[in-house]
Amino acid sequence: MRLVIDGIEFGYSSTPVLKDITLDANGPQLLSIIGPNGVGKSTLIHCINRILSPNKGTVMIDGETVNDISLKDLAKKVGYVPYSANDTFPLSVVDTVLMGRHPHATYKSLDKDLDIVYSTLRLLDIEDLAMRNFDELSAGQHQKVMLARGLVQEPEILLLDEPTSNLDIKHQMEVTRLLRDLSQEKNILVIMISHDLNIAAKYSDTMIMLHGGSIYAIGTPSEVITKENIKAVYDVESEVIESHGRPHLIMLDSDFDDVEHTLPADTYAVKEKR
Amino acid sequence: MAGKQDYYKMIHRKWIFIIICALLILVTLIFSLSIGMYDLSFFDCYRVLIEHLTGNITDPYADDIVVFTRLPIGVFAIIVGAVLALGGAVMQSMLRNPLADPYTMGVSSGALLGASIAIVLGNGIMPLFSDPWIKIVMAFGFSLIPVAVILMFSFKRRVTATKIILIGIAMMYIFSAVVQLLMITASEETLAEIYSWRVGTLALTTWDTIPIPLFISLVCGVVLFYHHRSINVMMAGPNSAHSMGVDPKRTILIEITIVSLMTAAVVCFTGTIGFVGLVGPHIARLFVGSESKHLLPASALFGGLFLLLANCVARVSGEYGLPVGVISAIIGCPLFIMILIRMRRKSAWK
Repeated sequence: MRLVIDGIEFGYSSTPVLKDITLDANGPQLLSIIGPNGVGKSTLIHCINRILSPNKGTVMIDGETVNDISLKDLAKKVGYVPYSANDTFPLSVVDTVLMGRHPHATYKSLDKDLDIVYSTLRLLDIEDLAMRNFDELSAGQHQKVMLARGLVQEPEILLLDEPTSNLDIKHQMEVTRLLRDLSQEKNILVIMISHDLNIAAKYSDTMIMLHGGSIYAIGTPSEVITKENIKAVYDVESEVIESHGRPHLIMLDSDFDDVEHTLPADTYAVKEKR
Repeated sequence: MAGKQDYYKMIHRKWIFIIICALLILVTLIFSLSIGMYDLSFFDCYRVLIEHLTGNITDPYADDIVVFTRLPIGVFAIIVGAVLALGGAVMQSMLRNPLADPYTMGVSSGALLGASIAIVLGNGIMPLFSDPWIKIVMAFGFSLIPVAVILMFSFKRRVTATKIILIGIAMMYIFSAVVQLLMITASEETLAEIYSWRVGTLALTTWDTIPIPLFISLVCGVVLFYHHRSINVMMAGPNSAHSMGVDPKRTILIEITIVSLMTAAVVCFTGTIGFVGLVGPHIARLFVGSESKHLLPASALFGGLFLLLANCVARVSGEYGLPVGVISAIIGCPLFIMILIRMRRKSAWK
């Protein structure tokens, strides 16, 4: 699969949100979109799956413009896991995940659809939750169920809007690792929005840093997560160290400069690298 | 595979509830024929029906009462209850709002206003139609005004679930205010007629009443059931629905037009019958869950059964019976609260 975004621009009324975004993503990989709040991360992924229509530019999947693809066919190519799930009327986990089969479903396909749903639940290790109601689950389980719903669409591209928000560190790592592994096992391009730069850097193949509605940096985690980029985009002082071949960000705050002497000696290892 | 079998077992349990509702409707319908001033037992009614079907009528008076007076009222009670509860189930699921029903769209208050204008202005307003049909046509026309406003709004602005409910409620208040205005200027006789419309009644039903609403309800009901997957996906929210291949704006506009049409087709004959459309789907949801494939038929059948039972109680209440709209709310609301308290099962709402 190949996603090509060619010079898209989007704005609400006269306020521009995205400005001249150009991107070419090819092959199975985990691609993270990072950037401060309100920079246009969600708007960008909404332009990819046509929830929003760009004012200018095109989005193409495998050479075909998304506007020329019927909504149902687009749903077979692009899956989407939203920031939060709507559960006014909670369904069972199976029924929730089964919704994702809508673009493929026919009146005789229930048995086959259930096979796909159950195998996905097994893959995510949540088969035991199958008959539980969605509102009885923890935040981590919610996230996995929503991920399962996106996966049963059997998409070539899976978009996730902050899939690790509301999760503890263990579950953040687990879900992000899972996304990286799934991109290879299922041969899909996984694009996720993340606010946790270290976890995104640890597992992503490619990172995109947005700033003021434009792409500020794009490349491998080591190319994107630099203290200069962090200062320019987030206006935060930081240090970047390397851990297992991946960049790891440490925030610095001048308010804490005077407490350095109270820390154990090995804490300065990071500072000495400056 | 154990997991899949568990799911199929759950589906079977839902269908059992639906079949039980259908059987109870048949039994209750025959039972409802025995209720009234003329004393007939359940088995007498069954015998009269069989005699009528075979053409071997032994008691013409009983035949007249059972087949031409009580039966059309019972059948129409089932249709009206089914339409209102089905409409409520669709609106609630699609707009993701437990307080949505066909009436929050302003359909019934539109019907009331149309009928009230016809009652106050009399035959002069539509010379082509005779008396009951002027009210029915006016009620039908006015009850479709809210959906027409929403459709016009959708051309100019983005339609969302909240906007639809707010437009419906605003229309409801406008219609109610105009009805109040008409009631202030109305004579005592017309005031009584407007009042009977306001509380909703099935007492005026004859076999002539049934064909048009039955036809419209059947067509709309079949189309809604055919769309059950889209309605189900809409529960995930507009962005998620879009990403699963359902156009949320188009789906909302199509389904509310269908719901408004079928609701208008029944309320223009009965007036405002509350409760069933709002709470009927919630009670059905307690038994079959929120998945639309089972919720839609279960709501329709439960709504039909409930209004049929409410109509039985309404007919034996007071000296001359009471309007079914009053009885459905008086019995239904406490019943609903009791079920909510006693039900120890998976939650059906957040």
